[in-house]
This record gives sequence, structure tokens and C-alpha cells, in this order.
Amino acid sequence: MERQAKIYDVIVVGAGHAGCEAAYATAKMGFRTLLLTLNFSNIAFMPCNPSVGGPGKGHLVREVDALGGLIGRVTDLAHLQMRSLNTQKGPAVQALRAQVDKRRYQEIMLEILEREPLIYLRQGEIIDLQRAKGAAVSWRLRLSTGIIVEAPVVILAAGTFFRGTVHIGLTSFLSGPQGQHPSVSLPEKLATEGISFRRFKTGTPARLRRRSLNFDAMKEQPGEETPHGFSFWIPWKPRLQASCWLTYTNERTHEIIRKNLHLAPMYCGAIKGIGTRYCPAIEGKVVNFPNRQRHQVFIEPESAGTDEVYVSGLSSSLPEEIQEEFIRTVPGLERAEIVRPGYAIEYDVVAAEQLTPFLQLKDCPGLFCAGQINGTSGYEEAAAQGIIAGINAALYLKGESPFLPRRDEAYIGVLVDDLITKELDEPYRIMTSFAEFRLSLRQENADLRLAEYGYRYGLLSKDEYGRFLEKKERIQQIQTALEKTAFDPETEAGRKITGQAGVVLKQRISLAQLLQKPGVSFQMLQEAYDELPPVKDEGRVVENQIKYQGYLAREAKMAARLRKMEEKQIPPGFDYNTVPNLSTAAREKLARIAPLTIGQAARISGVGPADLSALLIWLEARIKR
Amino acid sequence: MWEETIAAVATPPGEGGIGVIRISGPQAQAIGKKILRHPSGKTITTWPERKVRLGVVLSSAQKVIDEVIFFFFRAPRSYTGEDVLEIQGHGGQKNLELILSSAMAAGARPAEPGEFTKQAFLNGRIDLAQAEAVIDLITAQTDLAHQAAQEQLSGRLSAYLRQSEERLLAVLAQIEAALDYPEDEIPELDREEAGRTIQEVTEELSVLAEQAEKGRILREAATVVLAGRPNVGKSSLLNRLLDEERAIVTPIPGTTRDFVAEVSNLRGLPVRLVDTAGLRETSDPLEQEGVRRAWGWVEKAELILIVLDAAAGLNTEDEQLIRQVKEKKRVFIVLNKSDLPPRLTAAGLAEKFSGLPVLTVSAVSGEGLEDLQEKIREELVGKEFGRGHPVMVTSLRHKDALERAIRYLQSVTAGLRDGLSEDLLTVDLRAALEALGEITGRTVSDEVIDLIFSQFCVGK
Ligand SMILES: Nc1nc2c(ncn2[C@@H]2O[C@H](COP(=O)(O)OP(=O)(O)OP(=O)(O)O)[C@@H](O)[C@H]2O)c(=O)[nH]1
Ligand SMILES: [Mg+2]
Repeated sequence: MERQAKIYDVIVVGAGHAGCEAAYATAKMGFRTLLLTLNFSNIAFMPCNPSVGGPGKGHLVREVDALGGLIGRVTDLAHLQMRSLNTQKGPAVQALRAQVDKRRYQEIMLEILEREPLIYLRQGEIIDLQRAKGAAVSWRLRLSTGIIVEAPVVILAAGTFFRGTVHIGLTSFLSGPQGQHPSVSLPEKLATEGISFRRFKTGTPARLRRRSLNFDAMKEQPGEETPHGFSFWIPWKPRLQASCWLTYTNERTHEIIRKNLHLAPMYCGAIKGIGTRYCPAIEGKVVNFPNRQRHQVFIEPESAGTDEVYVSGLSSSLPEEIQEEFIRTVPGLERAEIVRPGYAIEYDVVAAEQLTPFLQLKDCPGLFCAGQINGTSGYEEAAAQGIIAGINAALYLKGESPFLPRRDEAYIGVLVDDLITKELDEPYRIMTSFAEFRLSLRQENADLRLAEYGYRYGLLSKDEYGRFLEKKERIQQIQTALEKTAFDPETEAGRKITGQAGVVLKQRISLAQLLQKPGVSFQMLQEAYDELPPVKDEGRVVENQIKYQGYLAREAKMAARLRKMEEKQIPPGFDYNTVPNLSTAAREKLARIAPLTIGQAARISGVGPADLSALLIWLEARIKR
Repeated sequence: MWEETIAAVATPPGEGGIGVIRISGPQAQAIGKKILRHPSGKTITTWPERKVRLGVVLSSAQKVIDEVIFFFFRAPRSYTGEDVLEIQGHGGQKNLELILSSAMAAGARPAEPGEFTKQAFLNGRIDLAQAEAVIDLITAQTDLAHQAAQEQLSGRLSAYLRQSEERLLAVLAQIEAALDYPEDEIPELDREEAGRTIQEVTEELSVLAEQAEKGRILREAATVVLAGRPNVGKSSLLNRLLDEERAIVTPIPGTTRDFVAEVSNLRGLPVRLVDTAGLRETSDPLEQEGVRRAWGWVEKAELILIVLDAAAGLNTEDEQLIRQVKEKKRVFIVLNKSDLPPRLTAAGLAEKFSGLPVLTVSAVSGEGLEDLQEKIREELVGKEFGRGHPVMVTSLRHKDALERAIRYLQSVTAGLRDGLSEDLLTVDLRAALEALGEITGRTVSDEVIDLIFSQFCVGK
């Protein structure tokens, strides 16, 4: 008997960090969105570390926030500690990192989603997926309880749940992260749609009971005195800054691990999935760096409401009793009680080269993928894809042209482009070194880069956009004031500045020129000149723009060159076999990834300059004829 | 695949023996049918592959131009990957041009320089690096140039640059690791040590870039012009240096009217030697034109040999000429006819024109000629050149990449000194590595990431 389907515009599968952003975006853009989760209690759950941000990741958070997404706001509201990283290392790599209260994070996210009139939250496991009969493409999903739902757009954001297998020592069992139910039927159905998967692996450390630890033996890492927040849009209210604690492993720890490697699923052959170099397990660190006498261990609070703490640095899938044994060799953890063991999890990821830059599966119209399911690791990477998939799903329904910021516009662009181009061989974590336009993609100017889009697509409110325009205006005013005002070294304030910065001036210069000198900061000028308003954020933007203008101009030039390459399109369905002289490796990769432009082709590893020339000459020769 | 059929003389111009005309493209065989006949005069009906055949070439007026041998290669088993007809005729320039124009009349189009190689490249017969090296090889006219082209073919340059690349990558990886993993234990960048590394690499690259300038001389042949008053023995010297009676020599001043230019092998170095009309005021319009052209060559030359007649002495015209030319060009004074009783001495001249090398020679006895050749070579490429430097750079593209890398490294050095922040330092460091990558074909970004994770224990 064919049951009556419940019809939506969009169905989002999975309410993790990608799914929540995606559903929020499609709902904001006016579409009735069903957000399906395997377990209603686990919406926006953080199965690994209780922290958000850091270099690259923090940039992503800022960018998602600038577009009108959620992760930045929720992190600000749920943080336990905020830290500014790389403050001595230059503006491009400075980044925020937050310790987050996991429980609070979930509560706030749920509250926001529940307030959205077009979001329908529902618990359920999908056991079947089919193209619905009819003229227009539509997807029909059957839940294990017999309910049938249907929508022209489905966004798959299933995290590490697809055929999840957890390993602890030599035991392994089908499972999602942290004891949750895995998703087994759906990946099988997707495979019948022709979608191919890879098997990846990730892991997490044990959680300990706070009151079993001796903090006297560890070094306290307090929060900052004047912490900053992520979001451009909500008023920043620092919460009581909780501390983290630093301690170290030692030779005894390593000895125990080494002795038990035969019980480590990573080393005894039980795990076939590919792990990441970005978050190595302690087993890996001990094996790969035998000369290191110690490794850092950070104790991080999981939530203000629990006694559970996270042991950063000791990710492991050794048997639980071995984990306990080596953990107890670490100073301060001698009597540690494990509340959850560390484990490794293997899971299926969609081979992301099957996706368009807009995160739609090339051969399945209306089917989008976002988050860890695409082979990334990290909440921030997931959120970034979530918002992109959400915006593009809505644009697809509207029949409008799709959206992805370019590599010179946002880390989000770098991330997605890498995913679909690089044929990942390990889980992908963003790094600032991946961004060839790193100096332009700063965390403090994310709104200047992306807020226009956020407003255009309806994710930012009129009010928020209005405030953004005012901020832009202030930046312009400061810029003008700096250029117009001459610096007078003979006044008291002038002497103070030249003295502080140690600059010697031979001729009259403007404040803008003065600001270019090392050691001179906007704040110094602001204190001395009434023309300059006391606005920190705007001041920083202008300061960075002025100080690094030479470099920024260079990046702009490079970006223009890149855009040219991106304009050289490769016809869809192009047959690389007709191009002589491609290396075999390049030919295979190009055929598999099917880049849309020469620019994208250039970023495929294994496609060398000689291959590119061959391709270019060939395409040109064909155009000429 | 190629629609047009192209043709050209495939052997370097101006050399005796046989010359090869290559015709490549889908019409090659049809053109052969039109212009080739059996020595008996019969049409050629069979076209076996890669077989030596005898024949005659007809002009478009059906007159026999030359007796030849020819080969036919069927696509894709030919040098270019197209149908290719190769005709070996008698080597005179004129003769080869006649054969070529007959092929044109039959439907071929003249090949642009390097076009055969381009065809070969596009048809997958050779890769880009090979193509470049082959082009160098084609233009290389002597042993040393040949050796440089060969080395490039075998990737020695890449291998050599790899060491420099690795040292730079190590610095970059350390900076990047610290930037992306601020909470891991990455050792602080030792700016002084990094500065030393960068400095050393810069110097290594500079040596290569200088070699590259000389590499250009290898590929393109340096121009050395013989200039001087009439009858001092310029043409005689040219013949001696070429070891061939190339220019007409008579006792009559003003013998040489037009210039004579010939590429010769000067101790392994390709040198274009140019004999010019004797410089003097004259009312003969033909000679005037010769003198004008002589001055034109002086402008173009890398080195000018001002020839003096030792037996005739120095007059004011000689002096004026020397002073005029040495202002803008490198000059040797060549004191010829040393076999005759001298009215000029080398020592006297050296004193008069301090700084200019003076070489005493005799075109008749051959005295001093070896020394002259050695000095020319030294002047053009230096003493050590071609004697044991591990690699040579001859491609302009490579030279350009090297020079860019050097410039970027110089700003890294400055940045390290001036306390530039790490994220800015990486900009020029990466740019330098990318420039080197244009030669070695390596991509910086992937290698840096690999290095970060193999060198530093990062991530939690
Ligand atoms: N004894 C002697 N005679 C020489 C020497 N070199 C050239 N001659 C003679 O000098 C005369 C002129 O020689 P050319 O080589 O024609 O001189 P040129 O400089 O080319 O003269 P133009 O072409 O008229 O400018 C000839 O009779 C040569 O045989 C030399 O080294 N020794
Ligand atoms: Mg002469």
C-alpha cells in the first residue's frame, strides 16, 4: 500500500553542525524545512572536543557568522573561555578559540531552531530513499517507523553516522559517535543511486571525572582578561572565564602505549579506514615521533553543568583498561576515573569529487551533501558547508544562480574548492596555509567580505545589515581622516608617538603614512587625535589595510589572475582522451574530477604545469578551428 | 588531427653535405606524389613506411631540381605524430629552397620556427620539458650547447634545484606549522639561522642565474665583429678563424663590400663571426652601403675585434675608431701581420688605450690565433665556463624563474632582518618556491603540508 507522503520543500538529514546551519538557511530563505535527526536529544551535539575556533577554523566561524549563520552566535552565548591566538604573529593568522559548554551549546541551538517557523524538527531514521515518480525530480524518504516524507531537495548531513563502526581495543561494533545509533540503510540506498564512498577514520580521547583529578600537579590556563567574541551581530557578553589545565605525558606513558600496540586497532589491522594527520591519536604520536619525551595534555571542561572533562591530546582506541593505565601515568591524572573511554570510529564519506562547487551531487539533482559526510573533520568545517548547502538548496528551488565565495573571498571558498578538487585521502581540516590569499582573508574583515551575500540571500536581517553599512561608513571615515590629517611631531602627543614607536621623521607625512611604520598602532593615533573615533574593530580593519597594503595589492593582482583561469571553462563532458600528452595520472584524475574550469584543473594534485599547458593548448587549438 | 601540412628545411642553414626538407601533416603523401618521381621519371605509387627510396624532385614547372633520397613515416609513428615525408637533397641553401618552394606550390605551408616540435608535443610524442629541450637542441650548434640541452633533457637542473627547494621548504614548514598550530610545541623560528639559509640559497641561485646569461650565448651564439680600416687583414683573419676560405682576400683595399657572417665553433662555443667592409670615407655608393652595414654590425655585436695592420702603423682614423667603439662595446685590439717588420708594438698600444686587451696575431703565419680564440671565449663566458659546473641553465623561461626566485628571497632576507611578521614572511618565501617550482614542476602547498606533519608532532 502506497502511503501518503508528507511534503516539504527541503529535508535535512542530520541535525549536527552542518545540518543545523543548512536547515536554518533554507528556512530563512523561505522554504519549509524538515530537519531529521536520529535522536532529538542530540541536536548540535559535539562528540569530540569542547572547543570551537583556532587558526583557519576561527576564520570559518567568523565567515559563517558574517553570512548570517549560527555557529558564531551560539559559541559566543555558550563559551566557557575565549582566547586570542597568534597575537604576536601578524594579522592574517590571528584567531579566536573558544572553550564551549557543550550542553549549553545544544540548548541554545535548539532554542534558535525551534523559534524558526519554517523549521520542522523530527526524530527518525531513514531506511529508504527513492526518486519519487512524477515529472519534477523529488526525493521520497521512508522512516523506520513507516512515515514517508518527500521533498525536491534533500541535504545529507549525516556526519560520521554512515555505517559507523566504533573500535575500542580489539572490540568493534556498529555505532554512531558516543554510543549513538548508526545509519546503515541510507548509505546502501545512496550506493544504489550510484554514489561512491570512501572509508575514513577519526577518534576521540577518554572523558574523565573532574573530581578524580589533582589540579595542583598541572599548569592552569586561565581565560583572558578582556576576551573577544565571534559574532558580528549579537552584543558580546563575556561569561565567567573557566580555566583549562596543562600537563604532559612522559616516558612511562609512552612505554605502556608501545607495549600494547598489538591491541591498538590502528596498528593491528582492525581499522581499514584512513585516519587524519590533523588529529593524531596518542598511539600515532608515540610511534611517529619516538624521540619526543613528552606530549602536551590539556584538560578542558565539557560543560558547567557536569563534572566531565575532556583530555585533549590523548585520543586513543586502545582497550579501555590500557587507556586508564597510561592516563594514570600523567601528572595530575594519577587517580583519574574514566567516565567515557576514547575510541576510534570508521565511517563512510561521500567521495566529494562527485559534488559540484555548490555541494550538490552531480548526478542527483536536488541532492546536496554537507559536513563530515563529505570527508571533513571539525564542527567549523561542517557549519561552513552547512550554510553553503543550505543557501544553494534554496537557490536551486528558486531557480537562481548558485553561490560559492571564491578562494580569494573566503576560507569557505577554499574549503569547498579543496573538497571537490583534491580527492581527499584523509579527513580534511582547514589550515591557514591552504589559503593562497591568506592576508586578505582575515578574521576581522569577514563581514566586509561576506555580509553583502548574507543580506542578499535573506540570512541577515535589515537591522543587522543596517548596522553593517554604518560600520562600513565609519571605516571609510577613519580612512579619510587618517589620510587628510597631517602628523605633527612637534606637539606633545606627536613626540609621545614618535618616542613610543621609535620612528624618525624627515618630512611631513599624513597619519595614514605614519600608521604604515612598524610600531605605530591605530590606538596610539586614536588617543592623540580627536578626529579619530574610539572604535576598536573599525580601527583594526583600517590599520591592517594600511599596514599591509603592499601585500594586499599583490594578492589582489594574483586573485585577478586566478579569476582569469577560472573564466577559462572546460566544456562539460570533455573527453580527456582526445588530449595527447597528458600524463596518465593527470588524465585519470581530470576525467574523474571533471573540473569546471582551468583554474580548478590547476589545483588538482597530479596535474602538473606540463599537463595544464597541454590542456590549454589543446582547448585553444579546438576553439581556433 | 592537424589540418594543415607544414614544411621546412630541417637541417641548420649554411652547412654543406646534405640537407633535409621535412613535410608534416595529412597532405604529406599527396604532396610527395606531386613533386617526387622515380629516377626513371615514373610516378611513385607505393609509400612503404620508413624505407629509404631514391627519387628526383620536380619543380612546379615539372623540371628536375635535384636527385634525392626520401623517407615516408605514417602517423602516428613519426617525429611529429603526423604523416611525415622527409626529403634529403644536396645541401646547398639555394637547392633546398627550390625543393621547399616546390612543396609549397604543391600545398604545404612554411613551418614556423619550432612548429614541428609543437606538433610533436600536441600529438603526444614528447612532453613539454622535452619539447623545450629539443628546441634548444635544434638551435644548439656546438658541443657545449648540446651538452646543456642534454642535461636539461635528463632533468639535472631539477635535481640540482631540489636541494635549494628543500632548504626553503624546511623554513616555510616551520613557520607554517607554528602559525596553524599555535598551541602545539613548535620551536620558535630562529630568524638568524633562517636568514643564513635563505642567504646561502640566494647565492646558489645567483650562480645559476649568471650561468643562464651565458647559457643564452650558448643557444643564440654570440656575435663577434671584425672591424677596421681597409686592407688590415679582416677577411684573412675570418678565414683563419673559420678554417675555411670563406671571404675573398686581395691586396686591394676595399675588397670586402658586403659583410660575411658565419657561425663557427670556437672551442665549443657557438660564435657568429662577422667580417665587415673596411671603414673609410668613400664616394663609391656600393662601398658606402658596405660601411653603413659594418656599423650596423658593430651595434649588434657582443664583442668587437678592431684589427690594425702592425706594418702600417696607427693613423688618426684608427685612433678615432677605437675611442668611438670602446665607449659602448667590449673591444679587443687585434694587431695583425705580426710576420712583417712592425711599426706598432702591443706594449705601445696597450699603454695608449689603457684597459683594452691587445693581441698580436698573423693571419698568414697563424701566430697568436689560438690565444685570440681563447681570449674571445674567456671574454664571452669566463674562464671556468663549461669546465665542471654541475649544471647549466639555457632556457630563458628558467632563467626568468630563477631571477624571480632570487628577488623574492632578497625580500625575505630583508623581512627577517626588519622583524616582519611571520604571515608576511611566508608570502615571499612561497613566491620564491613557486618560481622554482616552475622549473622543477613541484607544488609548494602539498609539500609544505607533508613536511609540517612529518617534522612536527601537531594536532590533538
Ligand atoms: N703578411 C701578411 N699579410 C697579410 C696578413 N693578413 C692579411 N694580409 C694581406 O693583406 C691584404 C689584405 O687582406 P684582407 O684580408 O683582404 O684585408 P681586409 O681587411 O679584409 O681588407 P678590406 O676587405 O679591403 O677591408 C691581403 O693581401 C692579405 O694577404 C698577415 O697577417 N700577414
Ligand atoms: Mg676584406
